[in-house]
Amino acid sequence: MSSIDIYNPLPLHLDPTSKAITLGHPTTSTSTTALATELTALNTLHRALLETPSQIPPPPLPINPKRSAQITKLRDSANAAYRKNHFADAARLYGYAIDMALGRPGWEPVTLARDELAALYANRAQAWMSQRLWVEGLVDARCSVESKAVGNVKAWWRGGKCLVEMGRWEEAGRFVERGLEIEGRESEGGKELVGLLGEVREGLERKNRV
Amino acid sequence: MVDWLSLAVPFAYLGVLLGSLATFSSLYRKRKATKAFSLEPWFPAHVQRDIYFNLLHLDPPKDSGSKEKKSPAVPESVLKAALLRRAIEDIKRVMQLRSQKQALAMLLQRGSVGDDLWQRFTRAEKEMEEEVRDVVAEANAYVPGWGQTIFQSANEMLNNDLYRERMEREQAKLEEERKWWEKKKANTQEEFMKELDAEAANATPSRKQSDGAATPNSSTPAIKTPDSSSGAPPSVAGSSDDDGVLVEADEQGKK
Repeated sequence: MSSIDIYNPLPLHLDPTSKAITLGHPTTSTSTTALATELTALNTLHRALLETPSQIPPPPLPINPKRSAQITKLRDSANAAYRKNHFADAARLYGYAIDMALGRPGWEPVTLARDELAALYANRAQAWMSQRLWVEGLVDARCSVESKAVGNVKAWWRGGKCLVEMGRWEEAGRFVERGLEIEGRESEGGKELVGLLGEVREGLERKNRV
Repeated sequence: MVDWLSLAVPFAYLGVLLGSLATFSSLYRKRKATKAFSLEPWFPAHVQRDIYFNLLHLDPPKDSGSKEKKSPAVPESVLKAALLRRAIEDIKRVMQLRSQKQALAMLLQRGSVGDDLWQRFTRAEKEMEEEVRDVVAEANAYVPGWGQTIFQSANEMLNNDLYRERMEREQAKLEEERKWWEKKKANTQEEFMKELDAEAANATPSRKQSDGAATPNSSTPAIKTPDSSSGAPPSVAGSSDDDGVLVEADEQGKK
């Protein structure tokens, strides 16, 4: 028996019907809670694997078009709601689309999820902003730029705008400057960011004067 | 008779020599083994791997009774999932080792770290190599060809997990931000009310009445655009007299 075959015995128990793995003797200590979270992760993964052919994750490409189609459908209806000025509905629908995109199985390419979610978060930020909900807008804009920093001028601008609206000038300045660094001043959106930065500077001055 | 006596001397010599060599070698090996054993492992226990092996060796439930169902207790899909989890953890560890190697080698060269740290590290490296090979072999045993893609999938899953975690963290800030904003809104509202009161104090009593009634409605725009309200006080104060100026000074103290 080589060292590779040595393992620590664990009190595992298999549920005969649901096939879920649980701890045999539930005890409370830090090591078992870590083990329990690992087992929940395992069970979720198992359920996800059951839906795939031959029960192994397919190679990252090509991706299953079903979920993408659903997400696109949700996004389209959210866009339509936004255009009709039903902002609350639009935000809700974007939220569903975001949940759907977050629920993509893990073995699908992460870049795909990032691109998709960056757009969805940016759109939801816009929907929040139209309802003058700056906090929600800010959080979503931050998520969006976190997902995809480059080529995401809209999200940078929206995040900055939310901070401006809340009167957090210093933060707004930092945020917009970071956006400018990444996007560059020359691009179409870059000019808008420069404009916003000007607004921020003005606000900062006004605040210092008061 | 004489032969025996003269032969005994070289034999005794040989015996003593071999005996001492044997004891030395066994002692040396034992000490080396205990030393190697006493070295702390680089990584904590590999939980995913333990789970996988435990599942492999899990006994079929005894209470089922049905003798004809002699299939393994744990369905293969569960084992596959466990193997995948194991691969994810392996990737984490391999990446950790890779990122640590350069720094550790440099530290060792400068003599900043001890030799046994390096020994622990190389041992972990060797173990991980073996571990990865084992996972690939196991994967190929379940589905031919899976060994080529299992780590690719595991890597993608790891990245997805990290990304989702970050998004969750960002979204978790919402509550905190919202609380802060509520507080700030309340503050601005208070200031605005004071302003209104100050204005009302200057106005005739009848106007004060109407102002008070209108406050709930008229306060909303001020809540929504604090930047305009924070910009507004100077103009308001400028238009009103001493009372208004006092309010402004009060505001400043607050900020």
